[in-house]
Amino acid sequence: MSTSSSSSSSSSSSTTTGSLSRRRSTPVDSGLGWLDDRLGVAKGGRIFMDKIFPDHWSFLLGEIALYSFVVLLATGVFLTLYFVPSAAQTVYHGVYKPLDGVKMSEAYASSVNISFAVRSGLVIRQMHHWAADVFIGSIAVHMCRIFFTGAFRKPRELNWIVGVSLLFLAIVNGFLGYSLPDDLISGTGIRIAYSILLSIPLVGSYLATLVFGGVFPGDGSIIPRFFILHVLILPAIIAGLIGAHLFMLVRQKHTQFPGHGRTEDNVVGSPMFPTFMAKTTGFLFMVTGVLWALGGLAQINPIWQFGPYVPYKISYAVQPDWYMGWLDGAMRIMPSWEFAGFGHTIPFMVFLPGVLFPGLTSILFIFWPFIEQKLTGDRAEHHLLDRPRDRPRRTAVGAAFLAFYFMLFCASSTDVLANFFQVSLNVVLWTFRFVVFIVPIIVGLFTYRICLDMTGVSHVGKRKRAVLIVRSATGEYTTVDTEARPGDGHHELEPMLVPGFIEGLDGDGAEGGEPGVRRVVRRP
Amino acid sequence: MATVRRTMHVRYLLPAAVVAAVGLGGLLTSLSAGASTRSRAPSGTHAIAAPTPPIRYVGNFTPAQVHEGQVLFEANCSSCHGTQAEGSAVAPDLQGLGPATVDFWVSTGRMPLADASVQATRKPARFDNQQATAIAAYVASLAPTAQGFPSGIPYVDTQAGSLSMGNRLFVLNCAACHTITGAGDALAEGAYAPSLHVATSTQVAEAVRTGPGNMPVFGPGTLSNAQVADIVAYVTGPIQHPNDRGGIGLGGIGPVAEGFVALLIGVGGIMLIAFWLGERA
Repeated sequence: MSTSSSSSSSSSSSTTTGSLSRRRSTPVDSGLGWLDDRLGVAKGGRIFMDKIFPDHWSFLLGEIALYSFVVLLATGVFLTLYFVPSAAQTVYHGVYKPLDGVKMSEAYASSVNISFAVRSGLVIRQMHHWAADVFIGSIAVHMCRIFFTGAFRKPRELNWIVGVSLLFLAIVNGFLGYSLPDDLISGTGIRIAYSILLSIPLVGSYLATLVFGGVFPGDGSIIPRFFILHVLILPAIIAGLIGAHLFMLVRQKHTQFPGHGRTEDNVVGSPMFPTFMAKTTGFLFMVTGVLWALGGLAQINPIWQFGPYVPYKISYAVQPDWYMGWLDGAMRIMPSWEFAGFGHTIPFMVFLPGVLFPGLTSILFIFWPFIEQKLTGDRAEHHLLDRPRDRPRRTAVGAAFLAFYFMLFCASSTDVLANFFQVSLNVVLWTFRFVVFIVPIIVGLFTYRICLDMTGVSHVGKRKRAVLIVRSATGEYTTVDTEARPGDGHHELEPMLVPGFIEGLDGDGAEGGEPGVRRVVRRP
Repeated sequence: MATVRRTMHVRYLLPAAVVAAVGLGGLLTSLSAGASTRSRAPSGTHAIAAPTPPIRYVGNFTPAQVHEGQVLFEANCSSCHGTQAEGSAVAPDLQGLGPATVDFWVSTGRMPLADASVQATRKPARFDNQQATAIAAYVASLAPTAQGFPSGIPYVDTQAGSLSMGNRLFVLNCAACHTITGAGDALAEGAYAPSLHVATSTQVAEAVRTGPGNMPVFGPGTLSNAQVADIVAYVTGPIQHPNDRGGIGLGGIGPVAEGFVALLIGVGGIMLIAFWLGERA
């Protein structure tokens, strides 16, 4: 076992000898006692602190998103202190000379000021932007873990839906935040969003007028509207959904990989306090540290180089942030089809990739648990995770979809690829129109084959052992399995009963088993 | 026992070291960003009453220059363009295009041509500035310069140009192909807008005035000499030496590079930390 178990073993060994119940009370104890006398926190707090979390590293992926969100909130609050959410025109006379005397919106001027005139403003702004990129990236990775291990199956379908909603809300909020500085690049993005709204049949023009307060660029209300959505409404919904996400996780208990002593009825891992608490707090600091380092060392979105957004000006080579890449890619490779007749035009080249495609994607993602139930007929409760290779069809479908969206993501940089590899842009475009469909099929079949080949491999879930490769006198190579390395301190986890209350530990310690590993019996 | 103790040490030291290093790095970068806030930004200058014109067009060449140019032209150019620069089936007529056109193509290394692809590529120039000027002088001596083309090689007083006016003109006229950071990008059918990060002030002015390849000509009716000087000042200033505060510049190609850094270094790096924190079986 790793550090986590050794620290927890020391704590549980101290509790098993009963020293906790007999030791002298500290100021913390009396403080907690004071709270308990008034609010009765002991019972709930005890259940919470004894909550068992499995230790597998892939269960920490969601926490990357959680802590990126914490960083987003903290840095975002700092930015709101200096950002002016207004499209009112002003003339810039700030530190950055190439923009001196240029007419621009208050939003852009304040964003440039945050980058140049506010102390540590640029570090915070870049941290905020990197944290947004990492936030959505870690949600995607976390979602892949949930998908490929089947953690969305009954009884966790609701939590899957909450998670998918969080992904799409995060993407929308990322786009809104990216649009706020009102620089030339982000203004182009808002222009595209306006066109996407317009492309919706029947209601498009009304909807676009409603959102923008008039024909593009509207009456200047888009910046304050995006601002209030970005800093208040969507973060509040996201925070609420994260709360629901975690509440359901605690209520339903965490899933775990199958292994020695792990059954559908127990959870093997470390208790919330102190082991998991220490580990996850450290993880918070490390995520923050990485985002801080990125914010300080790697430039992101140097808006002062772009200048303010003016509707009749444009820069070539405009891409959205990475999480919008799949939509941008779909838009780029879409042939220019449209329907014109009866006095109306339906621009399929915008409506299909810009509205229908993300709509279908979200429906498919949200309803996936039920789609799979329908296909497999498996409606049983599952608390033990699948290994991806043991579900070759799901794994193949997932890999194919990942490949599909990744190819669309790459299609979002057609011009960069054409320029870098010095090939014709038209060739790159046509290539993507085919590989977007061909690559997922190949990836899916390949994954299916690999999964089939990997089922039946022994030692699943066991620690790896060294293999000796021996060459005989005749030149033949054979492999010999070795024993587990002697004295390396690793041993498989043994389950151990955890009582509801700490007093019970005195007696239960005698039951033996591996110290530091507890078992929670799932109550029906 | 000794090895066990050593691994224990590493086990506890490594997290501490990582946290310390990341924290220290963050602290230093925020301090340095704070410090650079105080440092002065490059100062743009508005020319109030320029004693010299913003662009000097030098078109008076000596007979010695013309002669040197003729020797070079006959040896290196005439096989395609003809000895009198009258053009052929494979190369255009150069007569009347003026010295600025010729100087641009030769000094950027595009001529002599490497191969007949969609677009001539910038490469290390075969001739130095003096030789390029001589070739331009020879071609200019063959015929009077046509209407709309400058009759001399432009030399720009970049100090006189206004950076903020240059910024506005650049976004309006240049960024649609060369991109807002001047990195250049692919256009349709194999053509491309080249990067502006290596062009000299004279070459930028020549390109604006003569419109090489797919680029349109921006004549005196479109942009005044002062405006061209503003653009040149902006290109040779902030475009070629961008204020890359905030860390590594990532090539000025925007979210493509940023996305890879966010996913590979950001998410990937943190996943490695998670892998190290958690159990693996």
